[in-house]
Amino acid sequence: MTTQTAIFRIDGVTKSYGGVKALDAVTLEAGVNEYLSLLGPSGSGKTTLLRVIAGFEAPDAGRVYFQGRDITNVPAHERGIGFVFQNFALFPHLTVRQNVAFGMANGSESISADETAQRTQAVIDMVGLTGMEDRGVDQISGGQRQRVALARTLVMQPKLVLLDEPLGALDANLRGRMRNELRAIRERMGVTFLHVTGSETEALAMGDSVVVLDRGRIIQRGAPDDIYSNPQSPDVAHFLNRFNMFDGVLSAGNFAGPFGTVAAAKATRALRDVYAIRYDRLRVLPVSASAEGPALKATYIANEYLGSSVMNFFETTDGKVVEVEHHLSLGAPEIYEPRQDYLLTWAPEQAIVFGREGK
Amino acid sequence: MSDVSVEAKREGPSWLILPGIIWMALFMVVPIAMICYVSFWTQTTFNISSTPTLASWKQFFASDTYTGALWTTVRIWLIVLATTFIIGYPTALFVGLFVKSKTLSTVLLVVCVIPFWTSFLIRVLAWRPMLGKEGAINIILLKLHIITHPIEVLLFTELSVIIGMSQIYCVFMVGPIAFMLGRIDRNIIEAARDLGAGFGRIFWKIIFPLSLPGVVVGAIFVSVMVLGEFATSGALSGRKVNLLGNIIVTQVGSLKWAMASVTGVILTVVMGMVIAAFLRIVDLKQEL
Repeated sequence: MTTQTAIFRIDGVTKSYGGVKALDAVTLEAGVNEYLSLLGPSGSGKTTLLRVIAGFEAPDAGRVYFQGRDITNVPAHERGIGFVFQNFALFPHLTVRQNVAFGMANGSESISADETAQRTQAVIDMVGLTGMEDRGVDQISGGQRQRVALARTLVMQPKLVLLDEPLGALDANLRGRMRNELRAIRERMGVTFLHVTGSETEALAMGDSVVVLDRGRIIQRGAPDDIYSNPQSPDVAHFLNRFNMFDGVLSAGNFAGPFGTVAAAKATRALRDVYAIRYDRLRVLPVSASAEGPALKATYIANEYLGSSVMNFFETTDGKVVEVEHHLSLGAPEIYEPRQDYLLTWAPEQAIVFGREGK
Repeated sequence: MSDVSVEAKREGPSWLILPGIIWMALFMVVPIAMICYVSFWTQTTFNISSTPTLASWKQFFASDTYTGALWTTVRIWLIVLATTFIIGYPTALFVGLFVKSKTLSTVLLVVCVIPFWTSFLIRVLAWRPMLGKEGAINIILLKLHIITHPIEVLLFTELSVIIGMSQIYCVFMVGPIAFMLGRIDRNIIEAARDLGAGFGRIFWKIIFPLSLPGVVVGAIFVSVMVLGEFATSGALSGRKVNLLGNIIVTQVGSLKWAMASVTGVILTVVMGMVIAAFLRIVDLKQEL
């Protein structure tokens, strides 16, 4: 992506609250018509980043550019960037139609009443709220409120929409449905979405590109499948919530961990030595079996049924919980005896190794 | 059938409202009924009998003194309502919305209440040395050479009554409005800004409508207290301003129970109409 097609760019943005750095020299850009999801744990500075881009907070240092223009000192209401709030922030005393029309009726540019009515109706139809126009916003469901929030922003025809955990206030079922709708609506409008979330599944499912933020810094950016299969640091692997992580020592191409010493031909450079193996890459053998690869003795504790897969929990001798995922498409799950020892094994080439001597 | 049992279950045992009913009956329904009844009694100079007559009612509406008091009451009420709103709303806006720290806004509200640490009468009488011909305000203005002669209209006029009442009742306007403003989700204001609205638009379209229940509650507080006033007008007007409350006090003092009752009934009706009118503006049950 080149600077010419970038819709927005932030350059070395730093923001502190009472000495604590919420954003530490963050540089990020997004292209036209792109879905960018920003993944980070709570306190990683992701909401602050959105608020700086929207203009609700001024950065301590760094510049914000939008459509090639420096907007660092432009007030929020003159930026033309849409913002969808986590709790939707609908105007409680107005109807659905009045909420959606608010920006056109009260914005700086004057839009005729006819055009306002027509654009309002068009966007209400698009988000699927036809028939609800005259309801109060406290008389509609959570999913419908989410649509009103989105319609209210989209009707202003912004080139960039910032979404602050937009699905966080919805129940799981609705979240799945809104996920698809958000993508469909965005594709229809052809605008850039910057979607902030603390949920790794949401970030991976929705973004054309995923940015991982931790302690005010961007620690990785890439396509969802690239992030998922090649996390660049133990922290990214940790946020993905799909890896068993073991501390140990990496030296001369060998990783010494609780499972013995294993050859680690390929290692990623990181500040600490960590051995990561995905939940669904582990195999469970009887304790008496002899494994070819690395093996870890662990006690079976319990399992959790997840619909398409079963998650088995094991405890190693030093008290660490190891998760093993069994996809039900691969056949019925094996039944394990609680409090019995098993042998966990995996193919060493499927592990991701981080270490100080990695490349 | 099942609807009935659900209804009964939700309402709980109905005898729980008995203390409330007894209390309200004893201290509100019975006294008001009594006043209405007594207003039709026959009053002679030294005697009162329960023979029903309309004489006191006719006398009230025939006399310029009484109808004049009614209009003075309404006029002063409207002026004080306006001044408390004009002074109180910006104050509440600052305390409830612009002050970001919750602690500071609580401290500021407590500061508003500090005058209430002294008794009502002291607060009223304290205005005399302030407003008098040789009072604090005139002395300061003279010393600053802003005026050459003391301003005499400050005390013992309608103006002094309005100044006194505005100061005393302003906080009842500030409190409810600041409370409603404090409850507004800040994200809503940011959302309006993000949609391109400037401060003026945000205030008139979002902030003011959302604070309206607070304005109505504050206005009801101020109205009820100002309409029933007699002490401030008595102490600061030198008996020149007579409100309905002052009429009642005088009539009771000279044992004219029937006339006092007529005035009392009229005052109650006026208050009832005022409150009903305010409640029409906002559905408080829904808003609070």
